[in-house]
Amino acid sequence: MSAAGRRLADRWIAIASPIALLAVWEWASATGLLRTAFFPRPSTIAVHLRDLALDGTLWGHLATTLARIGWSFSLAAVLGVAVGLAMGLWRRLREGLDPVFAAIYPIPSVLFLPLASFLVPPGEIALVVTTAVTSFFLVAFTTTHGVRQIDRLVVEAARHYGAGGWRLFAAVLLPGALPYIFSGLRLGLGFALIVVVAVEIVSASRGLGALLWLSWQVLKVEDMYATFFVIALLGALLSYGLAALRARLLPWVPDVGER
Amino acid sequence: MTFESHGRSVVALDRISLQVHAGEFLCVVGPSGSGKSTLLRVVAGLHRQSVGEVRIEADRPGTPLTAMVFQEHALLPWRTVRDNVTFGLENRGVARGEREARAREMLAMVGLARFAQYYPHQLSGGMKQRVGIARALANDPEVLLMDEPLAALDAQTRAIMQEELLRIWATLGKTVVYVTHSLEEALLLGDRVVLLTARPGRVSHIYPVDLGRPRGLEVRASPVYGALLETIWSRLREEVVRAIAADRGADSGAVRE
Repeated sequence: MSAAGRRLADRWIAIASPIALLAVWEWASATGLLRTAFFPRPSTIAVHLRDLALDGTLWGHLATTLARIGWSFSLAAVLGVAVGLAMGLWRRLREGLDPVFAAIYPIPSVLFLPLASFLVPPGEIALVVTTAVTSFFLVAFTTTHGVRQIDRLVVEAARHYGAGGWRLFAAVLLPGALPYIFSGLRLGLGFALIVVVAVEIVSASRGLGALLWLSWQVLKVEDMYATFFVIALLGALLSYGLAALRARLLPWVPDVGER
Repeated sequence: MTFESHGRSVVALDRISLQVHAGEFLCVVGPSGSGKSTLLRVVAGLHRQSVGEVRIEADRPGTPLTAMVFQEHALLPWRTVRDNVTFGLENRGVARGEREARAREMLAMVGLARFAQYYPHQLSGGMKQRVGIARALANDPEVLLMDEPLAALDAQTRAIMQEELLRIWATLGKTVVYVTHSLEEALLLGDRVVLLTARPGRVSHIYPVDLGRPRGLEVRASPVYGALLETIWSRLREEVVRAIAADRGADSGAVRE
């Protein structure tokens, strides 16, 4: 098969597999194999999703969640890249911060909500800060690694050809780390979505997480699934969007489209 | 020249005294670990030598004394071919128009004019090394340093690149110091061949290569070439045997400790 043909086949599978899953689900719920009280038919869920969209409920919650992700992710990205670069460049800083990061990083992010509420005004800001924590670590880790993995020979050659100080940083170390920074940002964005939904379930009255939880509590199972679907779609779109941006911004990375 | 290695300092180069003439193509050969590359790196200023000095005669302020072609090409993967070639000029603040004109000229010389907008990962090994050569030449150094630039290439590509190098050198008349582990290559390219001893590297012999110019791969058929190759090889062989014996000695010493 030609390369183009294979790529088309890959795309086709990527589209066909979720459709096949939904079809099986539809069939299982329709024939009573699955209890529709807990597993309503996807076609029913689609109708509910349409209603949520038409009466505006969905858009309000979606906008709230998107705004929170936007703030959290920006915070995590800016601080994570800055701290990660510094840790990549200065060994002392890296050795000092590594154990602290290793200890804090595995703590489930939601648990930072009470702590954040002591440190910053509770409510919206605490929520944004909590959501940023895990993303921050992911971005910082990958950025540090990105700086460290740069070929030493390339750095040496750059120095030999007169790059030093700021110029060495801007023309060599930063672009050298960028592919890793992008991977970190992509992971961080995904985790921002995961955590923001979790935090909304725990503490918010608006946002997709809150909508999902509310629907479950009043047993509007179809609305719950509709929200699930929106969250899943959002995650996929954010991830693919950033991957496409990477392919555009980093044309020197080989075969970036295939990854 | 001493080195820190596992907490012990190792003498890499010892009492090297070498004069390179302007416009000369000087080849340096020697057994592995004789410090050929170290010598080049000292000249390039990439290593600070512990004792001694490197003097390069220069009368053109603003151009660098040396430019190195690295064995593994060491191009910046995020820069296009053209921007790799202009990198040194950019760092020295040369105006854009002049930079790009120089890049065009050098890329034409190494036969890559059509590939200016490519990224290194899109090129073959031989093409990458051509970019490395264009990058060094664009800086118009007093001395062009080449650290086994063709060692990583396949035999056919290497043969073509050797002839290209001779052509470029004949055109530009640069002073070249060229490190190689291949005697054949040294004899094909060099005006003189410097043989280094096993570690610590000292100058064992300097052989003038009286093969005339312009030179091509056909010199391999000449009797002078064969005789010279035989002479240097028997000398080099002794050094290689000595180097291997020294390594064995060091190993058994370590076991006894």
